[in-house]
Amino acid sequence: MKWLSLLTNEWIKIFSRVRTWIFIALPILIIIGVAVYDKVATDADVNENWKQELIQTTEDDKKALAEAKKNEDDAFYIEMLESNIKQNEYAIENDISPYEKTTWKFMKEMAPISSLIGLFVIVVASDIVSSEFSKGTIKMLLIRPYSRWKILLSKFLATLGFAFVMWLVVIATTWLVGGLAYGFGGIDQTYLVVNGTEEVRERTVVEYVFANIGVEFIELTALVALSFMISTLFMSNSVAIGVAMFTMFAGNTIVMLLATKDWIIYTLFANMDLSTLIDGQNQLIKDLTLPFSISMLAIYTAVMLAITFTVFQKRDVKA
Amino acid sequence: MTTHTLELKNLTKKIKSKTIVDDLSFSVREGEIFGLLGPNGAGKTTTIRMIVGLISITDGDVFINGTNVRENYEKAMEQVGAIVENPQLYDFMSGYKNLMQYARIMPGVTKERIDEVIKLVDLEYAIHDKVKTYSLGMRQRLGVAQALLHKPNVLILDEPTNGLDPQGIYDLRNYLRLLANNGTSVIVSSHMLAEMQMMCDRVAIIQHGKLVRIDEITNQEDEADVKVHFQIEGDVHQAKKVLSDMNPELDVSESGNELIVQVSDLKSIAELNKQLVLAGVLVVGIQRKTKTLEERFLEMTKKGGDLNEVAVPVNE
Repeated sequence: MKWLSLLTNEWIKIFSRVRTWIFIALPILIIIGVAVYDKVATDADVNENWKQELIQTTEDDKKALAEAKKNEDDAFYIEMLESNIKQNEYAIENDISPYEKTTWKFMKEMAPISSLIGLFVIVVASDIVSSEFSKGTIKMLLIRPYSRWKILLSKFLATLGFAFVMWLVVIATTWLVGGLAYGFGGIDQTYLVVNGTEEVRERTVVEYVFANIGVEFIELTALVALSFMISTLFMSNSVAIGVAMFTMFAGNTIVMLLATKDWIIYTLFANMDLSTLIDGQNQLIKDLTLPFSISMLAIYTAVMLAITFTVFQKRDVKA
Repeated sequence: MTTHTLELKNLTKKIKSKTIVDDLSFSVREGEIFGLLGPNGAGKTTTIRMIVGLISITDGDVFINGTNVRENYEKAMEQVGAIVENPQLYDFMSGYKNLMQYARIMPGVTKERIDEVIKLVDLEYAIHDKVKTYSLGMRQRLGVAQALLHKPNVLILDEPTNGLDPQGIYDLRNYLRLLANNGTSVIVSSHMLAEMQMMCDRVAIIQHGKLVRIDEITNQEDEADVKVHFQIEGDVHQAKKVLSDMNPELDVSESGNELIVQVSDLKSIAELNKQLVLAGVLVVGIQRKTKTLEERFLEMTKKGGDLNEVAVPVNE
């Protein structure tokens, strides 16, 4: 299969760049840094006396709630206080310490690092097509006995492979570092979920961690498809990086501003943060569910890829 | 029967309403070095880009070894090696890794072949250095190396002598000749006339996207193009009259202190000389001259009267 050599080539090109190694090293260093800092800075006594502290927090929250209700504050704020109180009371009653740490808890807490992975993946995905155009190397590649779609597909799969490998490396590192710092046990550890007016529920941390690993693969695929499309359309990696980062980061702000609109759930950025849908906490738009968002992302990804391949197939290369 | 490895049939490229390549047809034979000659913006590179599939073909067809590029691109390109404009390489990788990129995806390239090609382009000393440290000439040679890796029978080089030093040009010319002798068709484009004249078997002159003519370089001594220059001491006009009176159908013209006569066989030249001398004209020199490609090219592309009819303004 000569076609697989195209994939090998792309893979070699990605890993011949110094920046790729920096992208891999940086999250690892951050994970180690967080664990070390946490170990050094955390007061062991607080963990011992977590109940007293939680009771104190709950009382403070109750006062604040009364105040907020009197002043007719933002409904979102009131709701947040109510769910905090509920959660803490449940924890005290059932003896579930929010400070108990295991590697799984550490993995859950480190989950936001996926944004960083997303950022690096955007850079690589945006570059893999457009830099060949800007450097002119695309000519040398396209005059080979391969249809253009094969060349583009090899680039897409190589980027996707890179994104997945990077994510797996980060997961493995987090697990290892967390295990060394806090112990590898706690597979049955639970955490508390409160959704608005619902009752408090217990969920296992492991369940969250694995769900998060899974949805991140989906998010990364959509992100790669987006960067890919823009870099192919504009042949410029700066435009691609800009748009993809905007979708990823500013997306949340836009969603918050437009949260009341019905059509917001059909936009790409409203569906880009799947991890909040795993347990429904901190969810910005109540109507979204995990299956719905995954379907939306699948549709967007398919459409973006279709556009990318169509344009690339027909483009006159004048680089 | 000659085999044609590359055939262009009524190839046309239009971008919006502008015609860049206009109904271009020619065939390249097996084992010849074929030149595409034309001023900048004549459509040489556009033609090459269409042949290798970098840009779409508006109309017409390209056949490589009998396979239509528009119908079966993958098969057609298997036997093609090319450099389009400057060879652009991956700066962040070594020369060897660059070659490996192409070796991996082309059929039948062995490790021995890679070493052979590196030796051929004389890059052994720097092949493991990063390409960003290479000079233009070295890049050009690495570009030639990647085009040769899979032993293509159609080799297309766009401005191949760009950035090469005289020794490099000399080596390239010899090597291309060697390839051609082994049956490879080499297509080179250039705007450098002298270069083309030394390198090619045939040259197609292209202007404004149209084929002006195809010249056989080896037939430079073509009888029709040979002229005799008589250097005259004294009245050139009178000397012309002498010849015209005695040979009414002879094509005679004056140029400075020279009489230019369209005649080629030695006997006629001697006869004309005799006539002049007998008439008392002082002939101080006789020279047979053939038009160089350069003269022809300039005549065709700039001054040629009948060609202005087909010419459209150059603005690219």
